[in-house]
Amino acid sequence: MVFSSIMFLFRFMPVAFLAYYLAPKKLKNFVLLVCSLFFYSWGEPRYVPIMLASILVNYAAGLGIKRFGHNRKVRVTLLVLSIIFTMGMLFFFKYTNFFLSNLGALLGTTFQPLDIALPLGISFYSFQIMSYTIDVYLGKVEAEKNIIDFGAFVVLFPQLIAGPIVKYSDINRELKSRTITLPQVEDGVRLFIMGLGSKVLLANTIGALWTEVEGIGFANLSMPLAWLGILAYTFQIYFDFSGYSLMAIGLGKMLGFEFPQNFNFPYISRSFTEFWRRWHMTLGSWFREYMYIPMGGNRVSKPRMYFNLFVVWAFTGFWHGASWNFVLWGLFFFAFLVLEKAFLKPVLERHHVAAHFYVCLLLPLSWALFAITDFQQLGIFFQQLFSFQGGTDWLYYLRNYGVTFLAAIFFSTPVIKIWYERFICKHAWLKILLIGAVLVLSVAYLVDATYNPFLYFRF
Amino acid sequence: MKKIFHYPLVLLFGLFILGFTLADFITPPQEYSELENRYLQQRPALTLRSLLDSSSTGFAQSYETFISDQFVLRDQWIDLKSKSETALLKIENNNIAYGKDGYLFEKYNTLNQERLDRNVGYVQSFAQGLDIPLTVGIAPNSYAILEDKWPVGFQNLDEKAYIQKIYQQLSATSAQTLDLVAPLQAHNQDYIYYRTDHHWTTYGAYLGYSAYVQSLGMEPVDLSTLTAHQVQDFYGTYFSRCKKTNTPADTITYYDIPITSMEFNGKTVNSLYQYEQFDKRDKYAAFLYGNNGVTTIRSNNNLNHVEGETSRVLVIKDSFSNCMVPFLTYQFDEVVVVDLRYLPAGLNELIQTGDFDQVLLLYCFSSFESDTNLSRLLN
Repeated sequence: MVFSSIMFLFRFMPVAFLAYYLAPKKLKNFVLLVCSLFFYSWGEPRYVPIMLASILVNYAAGLGIKRFGHNRKVRVTLLVLSIIFTMGMLFFFKYTNFFLSNLGALLGTTFQPLDIALPLGISFYSFQIMSYTIDVYLGKVEAEKNIIDFGAFVVLFPQLIAGPIVKYSDINRELKSRTITLPQVEDGVRLFIMGLGSKVLLANTIGALWTEVEGIGFANLSMPLAWLGILAYTFQIYFDFSGYSLMAIGLGKMLGFEFPQNFNFPYISRSFTEFWRRWHMTLGSWFREYMYIPMGGNRVSKPRMYFNLFVVWAFTGFWHGASWNFVLWGLFFFAFLVLEKAFLKPVLERHHVAAHFYVCLLLPLSWALFAITDFQQLGIFFQQLFSFQGGTDWLYYLRNYGVTFLAAIFFSTPVIKIWYERFICKHAWLKILLIGAVLVLSVAYLVDATYNPFLYFRF
Repeated sequence: MKKIFHYPLVLLFGLFILGFTLADFITPPQEYSELENRYLQQRPALTLRSLLDSSSTGFAQSYETFISDQFVLRDQWIDLKSKSETALLKIENNNIAYGKDGYLFEKYNTLNQERLDRNVGYVQSFAQGLDIPLTVGIAPNSYAILEDKWPVGFQNLDEKAYIQKIYQQLSATSAQTLDLVAPLQAHNQDYIYYRTDHHWTTYGAYLGYSAYVQSLGMEPVDLSTLTAHQVQDFYGTYFSRCKKTNTPADTITYYDIPITSMEFNGKTVNSLYQYEQFDKRDKYAAFLYGNNGVTTIRSNNNLNHVEGETSRVLVIKDSFSNCMVPFLTYQFDEVVVVDLRYLPAGLNELIQTGDFDQVLLLYCFSSFESDTNLSRLLN
């Protein structure tokens, strides 16, 4: 189930929240677990056993590490086993066919691809579970004894499918005892509605342009239309992903949880270093905490540090999808992060305008690497981006999407936040009017939509 | 509990969600949407098997289609979305582009080449197995002819080129191809296509009819000898999809054309038009009583009638032809109309026993390209 659907808003949400609010404190986690399992299994029940297995294995590993903590060998073995199991599942379901086809190409044969589909949210929940077992191993958190609480952490429906990647240590205290206050719920409602609007009113509407550009065929695009298309995708992926995170954070607050922030106006960055501190922040911090730092981080020799960065960014790219273009996309950032570390950073800091140009020009190119899986098509698209051939096709699209683009640019900047804090939030009725309008319009678009593709189902 | 009144956002959000959920449960499901011209999804049956089925026919997906098809105030929500798009200065909604002078056009940038090739293949095989003269006509959609009504920079498939290519592929067979582009193009300043609907107008259909009968060496009936009637306030399929505010309505013209009888689905009527349909939303469905498997029209209109003989034409068609067929009664004593979408089998038997003089296969381009029933030509 996705949040941006009639099913979620007018079926799941009223029932789940009523049950949750009415349940006595002791039973709240149990209600959460049941609701979340229903949420997860809706439409795709066959993946539930895979997730339950991951929960049981890591639950047992956590308990084992606690019980046999004095024995280093046992402790390490349990950790390694749980990593192999959890990452093995992720690897098997997400990457098997990728490696089969590449191995086949290497050996000059073709292997029949296996008929496996990606279990919903496996990239996200695998990382979340791993954070638990590793932290228990490192002694950062206590092992969880209550299987219901642990299960509720893993399948917690707000962040289950598309993040933010909530580490166990982020919410372990709230899992045990939390008070749900009305100001927090109100905050949650507001964030949820803003996230819904971001996904339904901005991401979906501007994404339609990219879908059309794909339909027209890259070979038939004029240069301006190619740029409009990739700009549309740039905004689509931001509002889609950040909107989904915002909905998750809002729902979390409505349940009494404080999830970490995941996006902080990434498109106003003046360098890629800054971009990755503002974009999908929980993923960046996961890779930093569980990969980059254990490899030595930057407390090593320069060549070794660059090697570490290379590995981390290749994996970051690969995490986004089982295809070479995602690796390339990760390495694109590696290249620019290294350049920035080596000499670009002081230059960018001195020239603000140039720095914005640098990011705003290169980011859409990186999203082209992300969006187009087929290298031949990717080549054609890049040719069109620099073909210097006009045409009239873009006039129609610019006219049609002009206001939408302006809205997207506006909502990508913190101006909206500043205005909200300065002018809107003090006037209770103005606030309700605006937020209510976003909700009503979102429902209108959802009812109308046959067009509601959810970008992150690939994860 | 009183504290909640200090948090009106929470209260109103809760009331909004609960209110619509309850209203949605109380409102009985609709069977059919006249606006959308289709049957709506009904509540799916819950079985263990359907619950575990993750395909589009499984419980989960059917149920989601059901609740969004049946959502309370659905039409008003869709209206609101259309208005909001207009407020954003959009020049399209739900894949319908807003052209000049109130013309609406479907955006049509991609087609299924494989299916198109397959459909051409079926027509080729059909032509080869047929010993009656066959004429194939592919009518262009409105946008392909009305280029001067396009919004600036509008781009769609080059239908004319596709039609030409299909005709080339058919040139190796015995089938005659009928050029409909030229006669329509020559009248592109006339009211030959509806602004709000995907069909041609009765006048556009008359031009198509004239081209056909002239290709057979016959004289078309003179329109000025017929009595015309007009039906106002027609909002067609393009409008239903985009629901653009301030769209001017279309006018349907039909002519008094007397017939002896029209048979379809075991019914016999004595008119070519289902007049009460003109008062409903889907006014175009009045022509020939909508789409039916086999329709047989008998009349005494034939201008070239030979005493003691009965000339017959078989028209295999989509809904484009429904307003064209009436004119054919002036060239043939019997007009038999087949809509393959509603005739699963039996075309060959019909042809063998029908004693036809001519066969006309007439589709508009978009439905010829997307139709999945043309294989029934060979059944």
